[in-house]
Amino acid sequence: MIDLSAYTDNPDINLSPGAASDTLVLSMGPQHPSTHGVLRVMLKLDGETVVEAEPELGFLHTGIEKQAENLFWQQAVTVVDRADYLAPLSNSLCYVLAAERLLGIDNVPKRAQVQRVIFTELTRIASHLVWLGTHAIDLGAMSNFFYAFEMRERILRIMEFVTGARMHQSWFRIGGVALDVPKGFLALLDEFIVAFPPRLADLRAILEGNVIMMDRLVGVGTIDATDAIAWGLTGPSLRATGVAYDVRKAFPYSGYDEYDFEVPTHDGGDCYSRFLVRVREMHEAWRIIKQARERFPGGPVTIDDRKIVSPPKTEIQHSMEALIHHFKLVSSGFNIPEGHIYNCVESPRGELGMYVTSAGGNKPWRVRWRPPSFYNLQALKRLAPGNLIADVVAIIGSLDPVFGEVDR
Amino acid sequence: MPETVHPHPDRATTAGLMPALELAAGEGLLEAASLDDMDEAAILPGALHAAVETLRSFGFMHLLDVGGTDHLPLTPRFEVSYHFATIDPMRRDPKAPVSRFRLRVFPQDQDPVVPSLTKYWPSADWAEREVYDLFGVRFDGHPDLKRILMPDDWEGHPLRKDYPLRGTRQNFVPGGRVGPIPPTRD
Repeated sequence: MIDLSAYTDNPDINLSPGAASDTLVLSMGPQHPSTHGVLRVMLKLDGETVVEAEPELGFLHTGIEKQAENLFWQQAVTVVDRADYLAPLSNSLCYVLAAERLLGIDNVPKRAQVQRVIFTELTRIASHLVWLGTHAIDLGAMSNFFYAFEMRERILRIMEFVTGARMHQSWFRIGGVALDVPKGFLALLDEFIVAFPPRLADLRAILEGNVIMMDRLVGVGTIDATDAIAWGLTGPSLRATGVAYDVRKAFPYSGYDEYDFEVPTHDGGDCYSRFLVRVREMHEAWRIIKQARERFPGGPVTIDDRKIVSPPKTEIQHSMEALIHHFKLVSSGFNIPEGHIYNCVESPRGELGMYVTSAGGNKPWRVRWRPPSFYNLQALKRLAPGNLIADVVAIIGSLDPVFGEVDR
Repeated sequence: MPETVHPHPDRATTAGLMPALELAAGEGLLEAASLDDMDEAAILPGALHAAVETLRSFGFMHLLDVGGTDHLPLTPRFEVSYHFATIDPMRRDPKAPVSRFRLRVFPQDQDPVVPSLTKYWPSADWAEREVYDLFGVRFDGHPDLKRILMPDDWEGHPLRKDYPLRGTRQNFVPGGRVGPIPPTRD
């Protein structure tokens, strides 16, 4: 008999020869197509039923928190972006708002705020579209993936048109946004606003109430509201248990209190409820974008503080003082007074919080993430047992983890 | 100091929390403050469980986050920060007020130990493992305290301020030889 005990260091799992056990330990991942990144789940199986699921993380750890401590406040926006790579602008918005609150900036121009809302909501739709496409593929439905990605491609094209980057835009700045939107942006946005609802209706027609979807999702991975709160769930996963908690409503930022939108909830607490909540959220995000487009105000896109925001390029070319400000900002950044703050935004995955500590210098002393995926994924330990091994795929998909954010 | 602190005016749900917390934490309460984002209290590790039970009795049933900070060269060096929120399972109105609260726990510098919250919240499990992994703060009573992000055989705790940005290990060179440590930027 082969001694397998060297293959696990989990003392609960006995692989030594002769251990009387009816359970089988299966390592799922880290290179498994349906783990949405690099997740490894150690599954303890009794036949095809999961007895215990222990996710293992860290395969995508890139030390973003450490890197952010070693960059100027303004430079850190670029690494912060890389955590949740499906919704990079939510990360930067959270960080930028935290820095602004530490600086005491409360006069970010309306135009910048509206742009921030438009871009983060576009990101939310793009992120949910990736989730919808891949989640359905996990369950065996191929064609809607193309519908979803075609729509996402439109959003990425808008992003590229404005920021020059498809994925990691790093577009928000402490005190506003990097530049004003180019001419033609509003026309592209209008096109999207018109094109999105019919495509979302198509996707819903294919998937909602679909017999195969219902079979695979209803009653799978069920959690009640009390448990969901104990496990630290936020975002759609929490709202699928009926708890109407959305940071945009509870702690409005960037003018979200001025928009008219619903917070979709569902009482089922299972994979299908999470599916419904996300699909409806896409519609609400579209409504927010539409309202933001209607009000799109004029004016500047950054605050008028040369100690924080670099002067316009045209001014740098002929004004010595502007050049000095620019030089100081690039070479040594700016200081933020000593203090700490917890700032959170509603990312597509849930409450994304950052506990930012400043020691008074030109670099953040500490940027602590509250990654929503990290806590949502942890609940897999509670959701998976009792389900079939094929359902683990559905449950992971319905939690929508992004491993750039889980591992940072 | 605690008696001079008044809760923020729009944090009505947590009125009476500060005196209760002061009573529960006793000698363990170092400082209390009402900041822009939320009320907070700085405590010693010994008072954590008493403080948490008080918070739970005030409805702080959602443990948002457990994080670490290294304040080197200040002492106490390590801070473990806990963020709590009053999210109710019966919450149906998205605009209903939510209170948040922060506990900052300052363990001793040599061999920092903080009691684990896993018996109150299952979600504390991974969060505490992460703080242990990156800062070397141990959590007393944690069922399975091991590294979570770094490899199991890693030496050192990367988010400590005396841990260099580029790491301490020698660079891996294809072919099995070991290269020099890359130069740091500053």
